[in-house]
Amino acid sequence: MVLGLTIGALVSLICGLDRVAILQVMISRPIVAAPLTALLLGDPMIGLQIGVMVELLWLARLPVGAAVPPDDTQVAIAGSVLVIILGQSLPASGTELLLLCLFVTIPLGKVGQYFDRYARQYNVRLVKRVSAALSRGSFLAAEGQHLRGLISFSLSSLGTYTIIILGGWSVIPILWPYVQQPLSYSSSWMQLAFPLVGITVILGTINVSRAITLFCASFCMAFLLMWLV
Amino acid sequence: MAISRRTRLHIWFRLLLLQASWNFETLQGIGFFYALFPGLRKLYSKEKLPEVSLKYIDYFNTHVYFAPLVAGAVLRLEEDRASGSVAAEVEIEDFKEMVAAPYAAIGDAFFWGGLRPLAAGVALFFAVKGILWAPLIFLLLYNIVPIWIRTVFFSRGYHQGLKSVEFIQRHKLPDLAIHTKETAVVVLGGLSALMVFSQLTEHQLPSWLGMLTLIPMIMLGLVARKGFSTLLLVIITVSTIFLLGLFWADVVQLIVF
Repeated sequence: MVLGLTIGALVSLICGLDRVAILQVMISRPIVAAPLTALLLGDPMIGLQIGVMVELLWLARLPVGAAVPPDDTQVAIAGSVLVIILGQSLPASGTELLLLCLFVTIPLGKVGQYFDRYARQYNVRLVKRVSAALSRGSFLAAEGQHLRGLISFSLSSLGTYTIIILGGWSVIPILWPYVQQPLSYSSSWMQLAFPLVGITVILGTINVSRAITLFCASFCMAFLLMWLV
Repeated sequence: MAISRRTRLHIWFRLLLLQASWNFETLQGIGFFYALFPGLRKLYSKEKLPEVSLKYIDYFNTHVYFAPLVAGAVLRLEEDRASGSVAAEVEIEDFKEMVAAPYAAIGDAFFWGGLRPLAAGVALFFAVKGILWAPLIFLLLYNIVPIWIRTVFFSRGYHQGLKSVEFIQRHKLPDLAIHTKETAVVVLGGLSALMVFSQLTEHQLPSWLGMLTLIPMIMLGLVARKGFSTLLLVIITVSTIFLLGLFWADVVQLIVF
């Protein structure tokens, strides 16, 4: 269990940095981060399922300028860790536990927004330090201050991961006996609902004229093709 | 004095850390200084370097994938300035200000608004089918263009300086952004159809029911356009499905007994 949580924390740190601070090669996207975490914990299919459900949810929230979207990276990683670890300790497995974990972790993604904002606010003080270092001709110190910003973003990622894990850990085992049976009636439909809601949000916010027409035409064409073939 | 290929490579790698100290005051300002510093060090004497460097830690914000283009052009201008070809010192600052915001707008629309949903949509086709390569497909599809832009545009920026703006204009990226978004919408339509069809087939329900999915989807899309949060829409949708599931289970129980 400790090993699982540690592996999750490491993935959370690396993917969290990719989100804003370094590279931006998109290993922070849930479709990558969740399967990666789950693969390291020994069950990549769970990660893939979580990736599918979370990937599109906040994709329409663009990280434009100073806008900070909810932290779907940590939701996906912590969600995968919780499903795999709790699946070993609770008398549970399958889609229902996965859904319950996401119900708990998705709202906590908002915590990531708060931590991310705090990290960016904290980094404001680096401006003065860099300025002072440059004024006294200490270039190495100025460069070092820039890299210190990575600490803020790392702590922000780890903080979000920890809060989501703690939240899930304390709530899910309590809720599980009460919701396991009711969830089983509609679990596969709920699983379908997550990506579809994400797609509708993209559809509603994407800046394309005739987006709904294009979407409906594509949906109908693909649906008819599958129906006929 | 020309900046060597080795130094330019060093700068290019440093641009990957552009946002390490992102902050609400200067945004990417410190990062831009950090990236360009190996070049500035080659161009200016120890006495002049602090003064030049201080100008770079001011406000700067552009799209992270277009930053190499700006950096390349600025490097060329600095080279010219150091050799005395650029007379007016304000030109570099003006250039940075002039291009940063439009490049940011183009990049946001193209990468975040178009390419990312498109690559995610294609990868999810594979993920829905349970293919574990889906994340790699996403990374491959998404990263080809950014890596190309980061590399080629940096080189173009350095070699063309101020004229790199014309290079961007020639590529008609705003038009490309619109087409990418349209393609993303089409792909997401196909993806929705696949998911709904698979679900109906799994539950052995009549396929025509799938067409009805469009009604709640369009309604939710319109609600999202009004500014409702994704979280709220998820809660509403999932709660409705949950309650309908409970209701249906009761109905089945009544029929059985």
